[in-house]
Amino acid sequence: MRAPAGAPMIVFEQVTKVYDPHIVALRDVSLTIDKGEFVFLVGPSGSGKSTMMRLLLKELEPTSGRIIVGGRELNRLKRSKVPMLRRNLGCVFQDFKLLPNRTAFENVAYALKVQGDSKREIRTKVPEVLGLVGLSSKMSHMPDELSGGEQQRVSIARAFVNHPPLLICDEPTGNLDPDTSVGIMQLLYRINRTGTTVVMATHDREMVDKMRRRVIALDDGSVIRDERRGGYG
Amino acid sequence: MQRTKLFLSEAFSSIRSNLSTAIAATLTVLIGMFLLGLFIALGTWVLSYTNDIKRQLVVNVYFCTPETCESGKDPTTAEINAVRQKIEAMPEVKSVKFISKEDALKEMERRNPELVKNLTSNPLPASYQVIPERGDDVAAIAARLEPVPGGVEKVNYGKKTADRVLSVAKVIGGIFIVGSLILIVASILLIANTIRLSIFSRRREVEVMKLVGATNWFVRGPFMLEGLITGLVGSIFAVVLLVLAKEVALPAIINRTTLTNDEVHAMAFPLIAVIMIGTSLAVGAIGSGITLRRFLQV
Repeated sequence: MRAPAGAPMIVFEQVTKVYDPHIVALRDVSLTIDKGEFVFLVGPSGSGKSTMMRLLLKELEPTSGRIIVGGRELNRLKRSKVPMLRRNLGCVFQDFKLLPNRTAFENVAYALKVQGDSKREIRTKVPEVLGLVGLSSKMSHMPDELSGGEQQRVSIARAFVNHPPLLICDEPTGNLDPDTSVGIMQLLYRINRTGTTVVMATHDREMVDKMRRRVIALDDGSVIRDERRGGYG
Repeated sequence: MQRTKLFLSEAFSSIRSNLSTAIAATLTVLIGMFLLGLFIALGTWVLSYTNDIKRQLVVNVYFCTPETCESGKDPTTAEINAVRQKIEAMPEVKSVKFISKEDALKEMERRNPELVKNLTSNPLPASYQVIPERGDDVAAIAARLEPVPGGVEKVNYGKKTADRVLSVAKVIGGIFIVGSLILIVASILLIANTIRLSIFSRRREVEVMKLVGATNWFVRGPFMLEGLITGLVGSIFAVVLLVLAKEVALPAIINRTTLTNDEVHAMAFPLIAVIMIGTSLAVGAIGSGITLRRFLQV
């Protein structure tokens, strides 16, 4: 995913997504997100935030329009190349999506195993990234032995262990209390400062207002506002 | 090689962490395969038994004696040879055995000594014993000897007995084939369903694996290996159980000497074991592969 310098990280060109039979999730959305940006995606439930996330992961196909991620046009990407795309995209979800029967270490290691990393690489990279998210002491804990905030840290560690150029977060603080959320946001902010583009869908008004970052507001599938240093509105 | 090792360790760790489901699946395989093996053994034994009885069906061609012959004399050698040629030309016939008047008397002496004691002459006719390729053909052979050739008094194949034996054998054969088909389908569905359930309970896991960039084969590999291991362990236990049934339970139930007959036997046991293990391996791997397909569409 080496896009040419200065090229945008994400481009949506007149993207429309219609679910069967007539539910319009996204309506003619066009936007550009540059490398290194930190972007909030806000809007009420059902406004199309999650659909945008899932389109970026090629979990869904747009009904019409073009999506370009890191210089790659997703419409033209073969299904067999989708795993390659996902290895270069970190994603963090509201419900963490950890593998329940594996320890924190193994959950992060899985992201490396799928791309064929050696045991030695796994043994160095995983503790390093778990240290980064502050979980060095809980590597051998199972997900259900960890608090919500800790589970989300594991999932961020898994998303970031490959140092992807783009991190997609779908309401990462949605299930967490405000104090824990602040910790997660600080972590995402630090990741952003390493040069990783972060796109984050959220409902958290206070957080958005405080961060003063670019805010893209969606309503009923359309972009109604796109501000460089916006608030939740 | 690297990948196989990885898949194996993934499969084993998944069995460990889903131990109760894995044991349930293994037990299902065990029961299904035990029933399958039992039915194959029983069924092939019954088929072999009916075949043995069918083999005892023969056509007897009796020549006339001076009392019954039109000529008033024994049939000539030419007549006897002509009948033999006629019988041997039939495609249904396996072999023909000539039983002379003396042979017939000896046989009679052996069976009923009192009857033979006071005989002054030998009243028994000479005959051909015709053994058919298949027991079912006795009626056809008899029909071809109609009207009876010169020198022959009577063609007998025990019509009533033969018809009964043949129809019973047909029913038994039919029951075995239908029963074993039902059992095979049922045990395959049972096993496939158990595997489906165990994968279904882990469909979120599959989704997560896909989302962090696992290829379909990377997800499928360990699951299919798990199915293979389950199938192997379950069917090996089923084979062990069947051996126990054969060596311990069967002799206790049946007095073997009454049933022992070299001609009657079930399908060879190693072959049954191979069928059982092969079936469960195939069902285990293919079943999990197919079930996964719909969850892989992430």
